[in-house]
Amino acid sequence: KGGKKKKKPSNNKPLMQTKNEHKSVVLKIIKHYQEEGQGSEVVQGVLLGLVVEDRLEITNCFPFPQHTEDDADFDEVQYQMEMMRSLRHVNIDHLHVGWYQSTYYGSFVSRALLDSQFSYQHAIEESVVLIYDPIKTAQGSLSLKAYRLTPKLMEICKEKDFTPEGLKKANIGFEHMFEEVPIVIKNSHLISVLMWELEDKSTVADKHELLNLSSSNHLEKSLQLLMDRVDDMSQDIVKYNTYSRNLSKQQQQKHQYLQRRQQENAQRQSRGEPPLPEEDITKMFKPPQPPPRMDTLLIAGQINNYCQNVKEFTSQTLGKLFMAEALQGHNN
Amino acid sequence: MSRFFATGSDSESEESSSADEITPKAPGTTFKQSLLLSDDEEDTKRVVRSAKDKRFEELTNLIKTIRNAMKIRDMAKCLEEFEQLCRAFLKSKTIVDKEGVPPFYIRLLADLEDYLNQLWEDKEGKKKMNKNNAKALSTLRQKIRKYNRDYETEIAAYKENPQESADEEEEKEPEESGSSSESEGEAGDEGVTAKVFLKKKPAAEATSEASKFLKSAKGSGDESSSSDEDDDDGEWGSDTVGSGSESSDDGEGKSASLAVVFLKKAQEGEKTSEKKKDVRKKRHKKKERLEEEAEEEGGEEAEGGWEKVKGGVPLVKEKPKMFAKGTEINTAVVVKKLNEILQARGKKGTDRAAQIELLHALAAISQENNLGQGILVKIKFNIIASLYDYNPNLAAFMKADMWKKCLDCIDELLDILFDNNNIFIGENIAEDSENLGISDQPFRVRGCILTLVERMDEEFTKIMQNTDPHSQEYVDNLKDEGRVCGIIDRLLSYLETKGSTEEICRIYLRRILHTYYKFDYKAHRRSLGLQGETKSEQDQEESEGEDSAVIMDRLCKFIYAKDRTDRIRTCAILCHIYHHALHSRWYQARDLMLMSHLQDNIQHADPPVQILYNRTMVQLGICAFRQGMIKDAHNALLDIQSSGRAKELLGQGLLMRNMQERNAEQEKIEKRRQVPFHMHINLELLECVYLVSAMLLEIPYMAAHEFDARRRMISKQFHHQLRVGERQPLLGPPESMREHVVAASKAMKMGDWRTCHSFIINEKMNSKVWDLFPETQRVREMLVRKIQEESLRTYLFTYSSVYDSISMETLSEMFELELPTVHSIISKMIINEELMASLDQPTQTVVMHRTEPTSLQNMALQLAEKLGGLVENNERVFDLKQGVYGGYFNRDQKGGYQQKQGYQRDQKGGYQQKQGGYQRGGYRNQNQSNY
Repeated sequence: KGGKKKKKPSNNKPLMQTKNEHKSVVLKIIKHYQEEGQGSEVVQGVLLGLVVEDRLEITNCFPFPQHTEDDADFDEVQYQMEMMRSLRHVNIDHLHVGWYQSTYYGSFVSRALLDSQFSYQHAIEESVVLIYDPIKTAQGSLSLKAYRLTPKLMEICKEKDFTPEGLKKANIGFEHMFEEVPIVIKNSHLISVLMWELEDKSTVADKHELLNLSSSNHLEKSLQLLMDRVDDMSQDIVKYNTYSRNLSKQQQQKHQYLQRRQQENAQRQSRGEPPLPEEDITKMFKPPQPPPRMDTLLIAGQINNYCQNVKEFTSQTLGKLFMAEALQGHNN
Repeated sequence: MSRFFATGSDSESEESSSADEITPKAPGTTFKQSLLLSDDEEDTKRVVRSAKDKRFEELTNLIKTIRNAMKIRDMAKCLEEFEQLCRAFLKSKTIVDKEGVPPFYIRLLADLEDYLNQLWEDKEGKKKMNKNNAKALSTLRQKIRKYNRDYETEIAAYKENPQESADEEEEKEPEESGSSSESEGEAGDEGVTAKVFLKKKPAAEATSEASKFLKSAKGSGDESSSSDEDDDDGEWGSDTVGSGSESSDDGEGKSASLAVVFLKKAQEGEKTSEKKKDVRKKRHKKKERLEEEAEEEGGEEAEGGWEKVKGGVPLVKEKPKMFAKGTEINTAVVVKKLNEILQARGKKGTDRAAQIELLHALAAISQENNLGQGILVKIKFNIIASLYDYNPNLAAFMKADMWKKCLDCIDELLDILFDNNNIFIGENIAEDSENLGISDQPFRVRGCILTLVERMDEEFTKIMQNTDPHSQEYVDNLKDEGRVCGIIDRLLSYLETKGSTEEICRIYLRRILHTYYKFDYKAHRRSLGLQGETKSEQDQEESEGEDSAVIMDRLCKFIYAKDRTDRIRTCAILCHIYHHALHSRWYQARDLMLMSHLQDNIQHADPPVQILYNRTMVQLGICAFRQGMIKDAHNALLDIQSSGRAKELLGQGLLMRNMQERNAEQEKIEKRRQVPFHMHINLELLECVYLVSAMLLEIPYMAAHEFDARRRMISKQFHHQLRVGERQPLLGPPESMREHVVAASKAMKMGDWRTCHSFIINEKMNSKVWDLFPETQRVREMLVRKIQEESLRTYLFTYSSVYDSISMETLSEMFELELPTVHSIISKMIINEELMASLDQPTQTVVMHRTEPTSLQNMALQLAEKLGGLVENNERVFDLKQGVYGGYFNRDQKGGYQQKQGYQRDQKGGYQQKQGGYQRGGYRNQNQSNY
């Protein structure tokens, strides 16, 4: 069965350093996407495994079935439980250790992901989310990343305080929302043998997917997505701007009111009258509803993610282009 | 009307003739009208009475139900009805104020109170009553007590003498029973004021009933009925001995045979009316309250007497009988008579048909007696005027036959006017300075022929508006347009010699309005050249006439020079432009439009002129299209088409809208503005022209600005059509005109001009659209050429990135254009910096520079722009924070600071923009230099 590697730190230090993965899990995820996902559609599934020392070993997985709006009575949780029970019967690892999701040009940082990962991590402390990028994989390099929410973010999510003040106090930026966990993939020997054999058999063209020089399509898509996010961000900022302007205006009014009240009281005092009763100022000046800032944070994270992607992609492509140029120069 | 006629009375002939005339109409109306004619003043009276009647009838009905409820002791019902009665009584307050409180009302109040008291006392009965009734009883009792306080005196008066009223009541119940008995009963009830009102209603009913069987009896029945009417009038106004006698007299008449009635009247007409006069006088004395009314009646009675008598002998048909036998018929008498007839005009009850007949008869008399043309003209004027009056409602249209009669009349009038040079007509001639009789001086007649003709023309339009345009009737009606034009032409030549410039302007405008929308086939044929010569004799003759263009020019120029009212000039200009445009004189039309500056202030004009303006713009656009000025065509049509209400804007039909936006009144007005069908502009043609021009403009533009983020649309409508086309799940071969254009646009997008051509010009489209143009072939050729050119441009825009160079010869082959044309198109594109390329002369090739940013680059630019916006927004947040700190304690400072910041930001923004521009330019430059 599955091989295992690095250590998971002791329990009081919940940062997971490594995660082991079984090759069959990777293949299953890839297969799942190939079969069911297309375009920007996203496929999801459950990861099973166990914690060994300071590492998390993922030894199995199963997909969430696609289900349409029609069968509303489909119970996902029920399905999961059923599935896990069945797996237990055949004596396979059945402990729930997280979930996986495919991504489209690196867009996965969303509220939905945050929420479900939070609930996973809240319930099962060692949960991870595996993000599989089929497009990058198709270009020749397997892209699989494991993420966990940072303890800080967990705190915030627990408190559900997404106001600007709350986030400020928590001192969290988009960089500190997720932490990536290194992945090590282990194969059984039989599979390794099979892989070697396959590689031997495959044609040259298949192997040089990696050397594909075309770039504009990928970049265009990325830019398009990036632009959308930037637009969202702009909107959010405008919203926030209005909010803070309203807030400051109100503060001013409040201040003026207080001053007036003070003056009046002073006058009354000089005349020997009792001061005016204190009124509930917060009632008079209801502060405007602060816009939730979590989304902005997520968008920033997403933008960051896109940028990383583009950067990675361009650096690789540039390298390839130089190589191609050199080759051509050599040929000439 | 003079008493002489009333008594002298041998003008029966008219009445009879009018009765004859009317017979084809529905008998009911005949009766009513002749009845009404007999004395119109009574009619005005009738209005009052009918209002009163209505109210009183309402009251009596309510009273009846109350009495019924009383009988069955239904107190709840009683209460309900009583409340209604009070309300109804309040409503009829005005009448009550005039007439006094109606006695039957008082009676009810008294009775009801008594009854209630009685019930109240009856403890036994009360106990038996159910809860509802008991409750109602107490409420009602309180109410009526309070209410009756206001009428104490009347009730007291009634209680003194309840007997008569009781009689009354009995009479009232069998309302349908013979009227004679009732009138007798009435006669008995002298001296009781209360009675009068009660009687009034039955009396009126009696009248109607009498008239009912009179009508069925014979045509002459109307006489007696009218006399009835008179008597009734007298009666319900009065309670004198005189009226009593009269009504009894009347009752006799009714119960006796009809023949007796009018026999008696005919013989004793004079006597009767004299008697009536007496009666009237008595009334005057006796009744101050109804003084006015009575006076009216007196007058009307006299008038009625005249006509009544004349109607009494229906079979006498001699025309001269309009005047007393032996009366010397001279101008003065005829004029007097004319005035007499005319006085009835416009009054409610006047039988208009009869009046027209009277006038005709008068005209015949005056002609017979050689009274000269002056009087004849005068009468003719009046005949036409009353023909127009025939329809009291301005919105309704004249019947075609009436209108034709009118046409004949005008024709005759014009004949007279042409024959007699010494007749002066005009609106400004005062009634008393008219000269109708003295033939050695020029005749002077008041009246305006121009107005009559204008009205006639308007009626023609109305008739056309109200005829189903797809019926034979419409065609038949339309044939009369020739006559209308003929009359207008005649009047035009008449007025040219006699009329003032204003009148000439007006008649010119009429002429123009009948000319501007017609395509001049003669001139067209002539301009085509020799074909005309081979035509037959008749054709030759036809083509002798002046070109409509020349006529239009002459008339319009006169108006431009002489007109002083803005409206006529505006209309003339628009018609002139329309005419030019219709005949493809594009430059003249355009120049006239631009010179007139109508576009600036047309929104202040009235709706009909605006409709004309819209029509003109559309015609201008279509003209531009025919001439190949696609852009101009598009611009001219844009306003009309973009709103999607072309139909409404051109006055060619109403759009379905919910009634909230427009009530029935507005709808009527809008309907009146509609352009008659034969003047319509084909809407499909209009839309097709618009869409095709939009296609020829938009497709190359779209190809050129494919990556432009802020690409504007030339034509929203066209885009809409494209989107509709895209949304189709399954694309079949195009059916409608729109689908054809959409399919053609798609082909053109790919630079495939042949397919585009086949979509735009094929049999379907020919029959739908292109064949509607006068010069079909030329238009089609132009269109093909445009399609080729624009397809070439589109092709170059779309595929230039694929080519390094392309030979012009290939292009010219591909698009079947001559080399020079291709050369010129490409040169133009290069000069306009639409195409980054250069021409290589020796090899005749276009060499692409490939400097257009790729889509990725475009995207990057867009992203940069967006990021700029983001940064700006972010800075604003920062500013605010700063501002808050800076200004919390010192607002002045803060404001200043913010302002400064704002300034800086603006500057920065400007700089950034400029930078962006530079970057793009720089990018291009760089690339070019690289090349």
